[in-house]
Amino acid sequence: MMGPLLPLETNIQIGDHKLGHLWGMTFNLDTIWATGVAGGIVLLLGFLVRWRLTRRDPDHVPSKLQLLWEGVVKEVNTQVEDNLGSVHPFVAPLAIGLFFFILIANWLEIIPSQPTEHFHLLPAPTSDTNLTYAMAIMAMVGVWTMGVRRQGLKNYLKHFTQPIPLMTPLNVIEELVKPVTLALRLFGNIFAGGIMVSLISLLPFYFLWAGDVVWKLFDMFIGAIQAFIFALLVVIYFGMATAHAGEHVEEANEGEGSLDISPSEGRPEGTHQSEPALTH
Amino acid sequence: MADSAALDSAIKTAGAFVGGGLALGGGAIGASIGDGLAGSSYIQGVARQPEAQGRLQTIFFLTVGLAEAMYFINLAFMALFVFVLGK
Repeated sequence: MMGPLLPLETNIQIGDHKLGHLWGMTFNLDTIWATGVAGGIVLLLGFLVRWRLTRRDPDHVPSKLQLLWEGVVKEVNTQVEDNLGSVHPFVAPLAIGLFFFILIANWLEIIPSQPTEHFHLLPAPTSDTNLTYAMAIMAMVGVWTMGVRRQGLKNYLKHFTQPIPLMTPLNVIEELVKPVTLALRLFGNIFAGGIMVSLISLLPFYFLWAGDVVWKLFDMFIGAIQAFIFALLVVIYFGMATAHAGEHVEEANEGEGSLDISPSEGRPEGTHQSEPALTH
Repeated sequence: MADSAALDSAIKTAGAFVGGGLALGGGAIGASIGDGLAGSSYIQGVARQPEAQGRLQTIFFLTVGLAEAMYFINLAFMALFVFVLGK
């Protein structure tokens, strides 16, 4: 259709997914499959750390994997404390899980799994808007629920009119746009990575490898940063939703804030667990 | 009949390419200016207080990620225009 007008035969199909149909709904099967693989890898890493921890008792030198998990858990706990004032038992595991899952999902692109143009065996599931919208909506529903639960419905709605009542539309739009930007930011980054790889594959084979190496390294870096940003923004939004709870309902919620974190399954030994702050 | 359809398609493709180019250009300018501002603030902060480098680095990468995100959203729309809508 565009033959004589373009110098190259660009046969790039984007947004192609293997479709499955069930009860009138359409599913992107390759995204679902890749999501399962990414989740399985995260679970595998977690269980591996725990197995290694409970295995050798006498002189336990922390393995690299354990150091990685501990480092991430400590970082997230620090951020959660900074934003929420206490190590909340729901937000920190959610942020850790989101970070690792999005990291592995973004890094699935490194595995070459595209035998033909139309068949990508293991695409990055975050390059499909369905996954990113689902994650963003679940996170934001959690944020809104926690905000309403902490402050009561009337106070929560009142904080939209906070600086001046005139700013209400802007505040409402800002709140409604949060899941959209969360989703589209992650999607755009990873999707663009996939497109760049397709474009680089149009180069002649003798220097296609150079462009590919450079771009894939950059893409891994971007994937890691976007995972970090998604998790951090979710923590910050949780913090913002509970920020005004301090003034109104501090006495009623003091019991909630001082919940002790029960030692969960995958929690390695040397992790710093701070005392929850009682004042906010 | 066939002529006007081909002309139609050509105009759509041309518009798609121009729109995609504008999206990429504007996005690149915005992203690089944002990254440059973030970097300059980071350098000034570290120059004033070298021991704050670790904490500032986290915030720097967060800001870089947020600014670059706009560019990548533009890139996704460019792909939408050029490869999907412009054919």
